[in-house]
Amino acid sequence: MPWYFYLALKQLFPTGRKFPFFTAISVMGVALGVGVLVIVTSVMGGFGYELRRMIVQTDGEVQVKSRAIMDDAPGMLRTVRAIPGVVGATPYVAGPVMVLANGHPAFPMFRGLDLETVEGVANLGRFIRIGRLQDLDDDAVILSTEVAQQLGATPGDSIEIYSPLLIEKLKSDEIFLPRRFKVVGLFEIGHQHLDSTTIYGTIRAAQELYGLGQGAHGINVRLQPGVTEDEAVVRLNRVLPPGTQAFSWMQSWESFLWVLNLEKTINFFLLLFIVIIAAFSVMSSLLISVVRKTREIGLLGALGAKPREVALCFCVQAFIIGTTGTAIGVGLGFGVLAIRNHLVHGIAGFLNREDTLKQFYQFTNLPAHTELSDLVFTVVAAIVISTLAGLLPAWRAARLKPVEALRSE
Amino acid sequence: MSNAVLAGRALAKTYLSGDRRIAVLREVSLEVAAGESVSIRGESGSGKSTLLNLLSGLDAPDSGTIEWGGAAPAVDRRAKFLGMVFQSFYLIPELNAEQNVLMAARMVRTPTAAARARTKELLARVGLAERATHLPAQLSGGERQRVAVARALLNSPQLLLADEPTGNLDEQTGNAVVELLLELCRESRTALVLVTHNAAHAQKTSRGLFLHEGVLR
Repeated sequence: MPWYFYLALKQLFPTGRKFPFFTAISVMGVALGVGVLVIVTSVMGGFGYELRRMIVQTDGEVQVKSRAIMDDAPGMLRTVRAIPGVVGATPYVAGPVMVLANGHPAFPMFRGLDLETVEGVANLGRFIRIGRLQDLDDDAVILSTEVAQQLGATPGDSIEIYSPLLIEKLKSDEIFLPRRFKVVGLFEIGHQHLDSTTIYGTIRAAQELYGLGQGAHGINVRLQPGVTEDEAVVRLNRVLPPGTQAFSWMQSWESFLWVLNLEKTINFFLLLFIVIIAAFSVMSSLLISVVRKTREIGLLGALGAKPREVALCFCVQAFIIGTTGTAIGVGLGFGVLAIRNHLVHGIAGFLNREDTLKQFYQFTNLPAHTELSDLVFTVVAAIVISTLAGLLPAWRAARLKPVEALRSE
Repeated sequence: MSNAVLAGRALAKTYLSGDRRIAVLREVSLEVAAGESVSIRGESGSGKSTLLNLLSGLDAPDSGTIEWGGAAPAVDRRAKFLGMVFQSFYLIPELNAEQNVLMAARMVRTPTAAARARTKELLARVGLAERATHLPAQLSGGERQRVAVARALLNSPQLLLADEPTGNLDEQTGNAVVELLLELCRESRTALVLVTHNAAHAQKTSRGLFLHEGVLR
């Protein structure tokens, strides 16, 4: 080991001292900055990741939509299934309705599912808390827990659904009575927007509510693992008729994902300042060290050290502080992420604000997903910034003339 | 003296003190042969330490030349060629006695088993075998200086420059340190230049010089 590396280690972790206090302070500064960066980028990444999981598990990776009604849904379904990489496709009808139960109104989206094909695309079963998907029939619905709460409805209750078709019929002096459905189950996806605005029924019931005949609003598509959404969209759009187009889930949620990504990037750069501030503290403590050890630096020159090596000794100290702080910070970040839900629920519960949390942050649990690229960027940035903090002290140390340094008081 | 380990010829050094130029050394010449010990005495401020700094290559003369074993001083050669002992010991406080001594070897390359063995041997020779793992703060002044002597001799240098090595020690300890220094240099045929105020210490060297008003006699 070169002497400057050895001495840097010894100055940070001196022989015979169990707890190097000054080193620990510098290291903790970097560790806290890195820890916060890991937590924030992971939570922001988690929102995007959870969103993807929920969308893909409820709607599939790709949606085929028509500008008008998709009249020949079975034919379109055959076309979509013939595309390489498509492993499942299911038609759907979705639109807003008014629901009345126990005198309470709600205005959710009614999503009509094709029970024969939906499980090949969506994994809705895992979100159902009471009842089963198979319990659905043309006179039954499954409500989200939020909608059920708004209506005061429970499984076994009867609800009335009014569709926009009712208004159309009224214009031509026809009477169109609301449809009565039985609640056969409750589901909870975990995303506040979806949970507060969705009820599931059969596609036939939805077609009837909207007067679509055999038509559909679109087709949800499940892809083979390894096939990318963009690839599948290109293949589908090549064969779809004019007026019908395939969209990946990212395209459908483009604006929301862009905002999420922007928030993540802005947060990253704002929080990077914590690491920069920590680096200033490293620089300050190393500058003090240069002043305090002036005579030792002179001695090193007398022993045969070159100015470049003296500089390296201080750069190595900054590098070690940066590396150790980053390693501890990454551990700290992942540690906090592991208990994040306990922390969030504990704080929200203490403040009696669990509902507000759900309402504004959309998820019942705080999501977290660490992208390897984000982690690598955080680690590299923290180590580079901390090491750069050692340059000024290193330069000052290297400039000291041994003969003057040895004379200093 | 053709086989001089150290040769300084016509060395001059001037310092600026405000507007005044003070000539600290004027045409000082000195040669030291292998195994020879030379003492330099002089009043405070006579330029003894300045001369030693020039001879060690830590400072450059205004004029004149210095040779280490016939070649110009170079940073690359310093660790192997030269050992230095100072009045203030200058031990690294984070390292224990053994690690401080071994630091001289580290300046040349990663210490070998032989260097570690020599460190132990030198510590034993200066009477600190039992205190090898003690930090400088746990050692007395005399012990610290003995560690510094061991460090200066670890790389078996051809030349040892000692700048008032007993200045911070009591008389008895100072005598012991100088005896040790002379004995070790004699054994290893290391040339020694000893700057001292102490006439008794100077008398123990093979040649005594006196620096007065920038001139060495």
